[in-house]
This record gives sequence, C-alpha cells and structure tokens, in this order.
Amino acid sequence: MMARGLVGIGLAVAALSTLSLYRETLGFPIAYLALLTTALFWVTQATSWNILSGYSGYFSFGQAAYVGVGAYTTAVLFGRHEWNFYLTVLIAAGLCAVLALGMGLLAFRLRSLRGEIFALLTLAVPFILAALARINGSIDGGQGIIVAIPDFPAALGRFQDFLYLITLLVAGIAVAVAFVMAHSRSGWALASIRDAEDVAEALGVATFRHKLWALVASAVIGGVGGSVFALQIGFVTVDSVFSLTVPLFVIVMSVLGGRTHWFGPVLGAVLVVLLQDRLSAMALLGWQPVILGAVLIVMILVAPEGLYVRVRNLWPRSRGSKTPPADLSEVDEQLSVVDDSVLVECRDLSKHFGGVRAVEGLSLQIRAGELVGLVGPNGSGKTTLVNLLAGSLRPTRGSIHIAGRDTTGLPPHRIAHVGVARTYQIPRPFASMTVRDNVAMAVLFGREPRRLAHARRLAAGHLAMVGLDHLGDAYPSALNLHQRQLLEMARALATSPKLLLLDEALAGLNPAEIDNAVEVVRRIHASGVCVVIVEHLLRVVRALATRVVVLDRGSCLADGDPETVLSDPAVVRAYLGKRAHA
Amino acid sequence: MITIQSALTGLLLGGLYALMAAGVSVTWGVLRIINLAHFGMILISAYLTFQLASDWGLDPILTLAVTVPAMFVAGGALQWAYDRLGISELNSLLASFGLLIVIVQLVSNVWSADFQRMSAAVNPYATASVGIGRLVFPVTTLLAFLVAVAFIAAAELVLRRTFAGRALRAFAEDRTIASAFGIDHRRLGIVLGGLSGATAAVAGMLFALANALTPATAFEWFGIVFAVVILGGIGHLTGTLAAGLLVGALSGVVSVLLSPAAAPFVLFTAIVLALLLRPRGLFVRAAQ
Repeated sequence: MMARGLVGIGLAVAALSTLSLYRETLGFPIAYLALLTTALFWVTQATSWNILSGYSGYFSFGQAAYVGVGAYTTAVLFGRHEWNFYLTVLIAAGLCAVLALGMGLLAFRLRSLRGEIFALLTLAVPFILAALARINGSIDGGQGIIVAIPDFPAALGRFQDFLYLITLLVAGIAVAVAFVMAHSRSGWALASIRDAEDVAEALGVATFRHKLWALVASAVIGGVGGSVFALQIGFVTVDSVFSLTVPLFVIVMSVLGGRTHWFGPVLGAVLVVLLQDRLSAMALLGWQPVILGAVLIVMILVAPEGLYVRVRNLWPRSRGSKTPPADLSEVDEQLSVVDDSVLVECRDLSKHFGGVRAVEGLSLQIRAGELVGLVGPNGSGKTTLVNLLAGSLRPTRGSIHIAGRDTTGLPPHRIAHVGVARTYQIPRPFASMTVRDNVAMAVLFGREPRRLAHARRLAAGHLAMVGLDHLGDAYPSALNLHQRQLLEMARALATSPKLLLLDEALAGLNPAEIDNAVEVVRRIHASGVCVVIVEHLLRVVRALATRVVVLDRGSCLADGDPETVLSDPAVVRAYLGKRAHA
Repeated sequence: MITIQSALTGLLLGGLYALMAAGVSVTWGVLRIINLAHFGMILISAYLTFQLASDWGLDPILTLAVTVPAMFVAGGALQWAYDRLGISELNSLLASFGLLIVIVQLVSNVWSADFQRMSAAVNPYATASVGIGRLVFPVTTLLAFLVAVAFIAAAELVLRRTFAGRALRAFAEDRTIASAFGIDHRRLGIVLGGLSGATAAVAGMLFALANALTPATAFEWFGIVFAVVILGGIGHLTGTLAAGLLVGALSGVVSVLLSPAAAPFVLFTAIVLALLLRPRGLFVRAAQ
C-alpha cells in the first residue's frame, strides 16, 4: 500500500517533469508551464496546511508565516547577500522548524487549548512577523527585496523550466510526506485527535508529540515552498508573502478537495488555480475572491468532507469489505489465575477543585485478581477517582502506584502504557473510523503495539469478546447506546490493560442489555484483567463485584465483600439518607 | 505628557474595538456561532455612512437611521441562516471567513480599493476636538468611546436585569436545558443576531467619522478585534470592554514610544502571551 502509493507519486512527478524536459519536443507552451508552477506552489502550501489542520483538526490561519519566513530567508540571504540559493532553502526549512517548535511547545502545552484559540494564535503570528520584517531594516524595512536568478544547469533550459522543476520537486516531496503520514501511525494518531483528543490520549496516543511533529512538518514544507516562491515572484515584499490571501487560498483548496485525505488539497489546489486562470482570462479578476469565498461557504454547507472524499464514496468499494478473521489466540491466552499481587496503590490521595474536596485523603489498595465495585452517592468522588487513576486529572496531594510504577502526574498516554484503560460515562467513539478501526486504533497505540493488519485481526477478536463482531465495518454513528458502550469496552481491552476502569458503563441501558453487559464484564475479568466498575445499580454490583468500595464525600466509607458492605448501616444511610435507616 | 496623551487616546480608541468585538463575542458565547462576517457588516456600515453623508449631505450620525435597521435585518437574517443550516462552531468560523472575503471584495468592487474619506463639509466632527487641561481629544474618539461604553453598559444591564437577558444567559450556559424550559432559540438567535448587526452599524459609523476607508481595513479588525473577543472572555461584555481598552492603550503607547509600525508587533506579541497565560480570557475567573 505504502510502497505502491509512493511509486505512484514518483511516477506522477516524473511524468510532469517531462513537460519541461521535453517541452520543445512536445510543443508545450511555456505560459502553461508558468501556470503549472503556480499550481504546484499552491499544492505545496495546501498540503502543508492540511498536514496539521486537515489531519488533526487544529485550524491554522497562519500559513502566511511559513511562506513569509521562507521567502524572506531566501530574499535576504540569497537575494541581498548572495549566499548559495540551496543553502538558503535549507536555512528556511530550519527557521520554520524552529518557529513551529516554539509555537507548538507554547500552544500545545495548554491543557485547555481550544481549536479557536489555536486559530487565533496562528492568525497573530504572521502579523507579528510581518511587522518585524517591516520595521527591521536588515530584513526588509519596507522597501522590498529583489531576488535574482540563481545559477542552474544549462541543460534544464530556461529559468522558467528550472523554476518549474524545482517547484515540482518540492510539491512532490510535500505530497509524499503527506501520503506517508496519512498511512502511518502518525496519520491514525492525528485522525483520533481530530475526533476525540482526550480519548486518544487515554488510549495511549502521545497526542502532544504527534501534534508537535505535524506542526513542524507542516511548517518546514510551507517554508521550503515559500523559499522557492521568492524566486518565482522575483521581488519579495511584506504584502506579497504575509497576506491573508495565503490562508484563504489554502483553506479553500483543502476544504474544496477534502481535508481528511492526502489527495484532497492537491485536487483543490489544481481546481482553484485553474479557476483563477479562467477568471483572469475572462477579465473577471476582481470577482475571484468573491467566487473563492462563495466556494468555501458552499463547500462547508453542502460537502464539508470535500470533493475527493465525496466522489470516492460514490463508488462502491471494489475491494469489498475485507472482514479479517478474528484472532482469538492472543485474547484467550491469558489464563484466569487468581492473582493476589497489589496492582493499584493510592496513598493519601486528595483532589480539590477550588474549595470542593472531591477526593480527600483516600488510601486504597487494589489486587490484580479483583473486580471492584466503586459505589457512592452522586458527588462522592467516584468519577474523580477514575480520572485520577487514568491520569486525566492530577492529584492535589498524595501518590498513585500502578503495577509497581509511580504514575502520579504522568500524562494519560504513559499511564495507558503502564496498563490502565478506561471507558467514559458517555461513549466517545472516533466518529471517522469504522468500529473495527476504533478498536484497531487502540491496539496500534496500546501497551503492545502491532502492525496495522495484525491490529485489525486482534480488533476483530476484541469485538467478538464483547459481541460486536458483526458490526466491524459499521461506523459508530450507526450504533445504539448499548453497542457504543460495548465498543468502549472493546477499545479499552484492545490496549491490553492490566486495569480496566469502567465509568458507569451500564448507565441508560434496559434490563436485557444490562444482563448482557454484566456477562461481558465477567468475561473480561475472567480473561485476567483487573476491573474497577463505577455503578449505581446495586444489583449489578452484587452480581459482579468480588469487593465493594463505598465512597462518601471523597473518602472511603466502607470496603469489603459485597454482602457485608451493602448491608452496612452507614452505607445505607449515605445512600438513602438518615431517615430511611431509622 | 505625550505618553499619557497617547495612552489615553489609545484607551478611548479601544472603546471602538470593544464595540466591534461585543457583537462577535455575544453571538459566539450564546449562539456558538463565530461570525467573522460581522467585520464585513461593520465595513458595509462604514461605507454606507460615507455614501449617504456624501450624497445627501446628511449628518453622518443621522445615517444611523438607515444603517441600523439595515444591519439589524442583515444580522438577524444571517443568524437565521446559520441556525437553519445547523452549522457547527468550527464550520461557522470557516463559512463566515468565506463570507467576509466575499463582502470585502464586493465592497472593493463597488467603492474601489482606494482610501475614501467624508469631506469636511459633511463631517464636522472630524476636525473638532475637546481640550481637558493640557490633554486634547478628537471629538470622534471621545464619541466612539462614550457610545461604546454606553452600549456595553446597557447590554450588560439588559443581560442581568431583564427576563430576556436571563433567558440568554441560561441559553449560553446550557442550550438543551434552556430549550426544555421554553426558550425559543430560533427567535432568540434572530433577535441577538439583529442586535449585534445594529452594533456593527454604530461601530461602522463611528469608524467612518474618524478614518479614511479602505476595504482591507476589515482584515485589520479581524486580527485585533478577534483577539479582544478572546482576551475579554467569550460572551463576557464587561471583559470585552476592558480588553478593548487595554489593547487600545497598549497600541497607543507603543506607537509613540517606538513607532506606529512597531505597534502590531508589540500588540500581537502581548496578545499571544496573554492567551498562553490566560486561555479563557484575562478577566474570567478560572473555572474548576
């Protein structure tokens, strides 16, 4: 798959290069070559934008920053100081990488970073850089810089040929990078971030690292493109490279072609440049932004997934749905030996939200073979405890050790790799992936990562475990609540956890579904996974748990075997109020 | 002295930023629509003020009689359309970005990309100024500030004291629950969109009083005003006012101490830092 695609991209680049290399033999007009060069510049920029914004869903208005940094690096160093042109391209790439690292380290560190805030941050960066270039005489100083023609092999023909070939090369590399990313772990990680970022993190995806690298890759590609663009325009001014047209163009192109697919921006860029060319031929250039804006609006409203994805979905999948045979061997290999070792150890654990003490001085040991029912009235700190164990929250005080490792303050994906998996009260599947890929995703990034094909086979096994194997090719939107909750469990299992945290996994189900879910949980426990289940239905807790922990106002009220604990007067009082007991 | 003067002038100008931001902030906070086309509406209002005053010799302030109803209808219609199309928050950002581009280009096609300014004959406000001690303020700037403060204070009162205001806040808090309690979100959205359109009309008029117009100005607003919205805290009117004043004062001081060209550099750097330190806004107490 990967190799075939790369060969395809290589062949396309080779085919396009003949237009210049054999231009005279083919009788290809040089004016078209200029048009193609423009198209290829935009292919590079749109692809660069898409690597971060399309794949991960973090929208950027800052594409002009990379074009500007790239163009000015070449303009100043090559145009003014006559350094080697190719060296300036490399320096441009390096500067953009540094810029992106800086932006990413600052922005992605924010725990509460929202997409709109990121969009604004990226909007501000080109403004800052443009102002810097304008006031700094050693960069621009408001004059603009002339960029001469670099030396190039005479065999290539005219300067336009050279420009075309080098732009083609850059575009080819950009598309190849986007293709490889889309088909690697990185592409899966970014797609899961787009769908549900904190779920991805809890499943073991190192979201920070993947976002950062996507940002850097995007910036480097954009910067190299901008560097070559300086040759193309020949005269670099602040307004020509730092303008808002750049983000407008790349956003329209990517939205038009399709944001989730590597080929979308390529298609979009070619279409928009052709449209632009036709409009200028018809002397309608003043209407071009109107039409682009209208295209953006219409696409968002009618087909936000983009033309490429839309058209591709018209074809029935020729390969058919390849349902891989379930691989149950590894699922079943774990034997249900009663394991007595301590798996979880919380010491003096506290979590305060302002003045609210959600968890206060809790000390708790959980053994590997147990199935612990965590109960307590609303607000007693059950979900907070789950969030603390999974690392979604950091404790105010105290420590957590899981499987012998201190996990206090570790990011959630590291805790997932220690062997903790969780489900959410309200199921949160990755909407853009099939049910099987939702689970395969968890295998890919789990404690024991596998290759994709193997991961999909294992996923089928996990789906069989929860009884969803017949729905592997469906999308999560087609599932009912019960099935989504089972999917949550299958996905959590796929990370091969030692500890599974089920947060009200049975809420909202009817009695028959509850019985089914109870059976599934029992099976999971029997396969050797320690389970902590938060549940309000005492019938379920009684049926499942080997031990019950009752929380009340953040502290442990009772702890022991289900029968004793659930008939404890203090527990009844906490649940039902004082009068009920009296 | 010059520094104080420019800080104060900047502060007063910041009132206009706040007024521009208020409409965006409220529709974002309450309706979950990021309406960048709002800047387009301000732009159209500014040009309408210019055109009506120049053609009919109308006092620029009186042009509000035309622009306010027009923008009320436009803003209401826009929110109605967003609602009917069931557009998500992020997609509204993109679609209205497209709309903004369309509006800016149409304005440029109609009125040209050149700078245009009302002649002194129709615009007596442009050259008048008020002296307070050794400080001198242009009437246009004072007017913009007073109107902005009055608008935002009035809006804040409405939000806190009236039934409609409470309904709005309830809706911003949790739209599903609010709907269940009988709040008609469609009508609410249209009225709110209309009101924010009306503020766009006023902001456009105030801008046209003091400045020469060019379509690309809308993009400058996009950068600064969008930042004011977020710094003030989305949906928080008093925060928006404070953020607007702060941004205005900062850019005023930097323009004098360094150079006007350096203002965007310092300003946006400050905005980026502020966002990184307080991503929910400068004046919003951190939630749990």
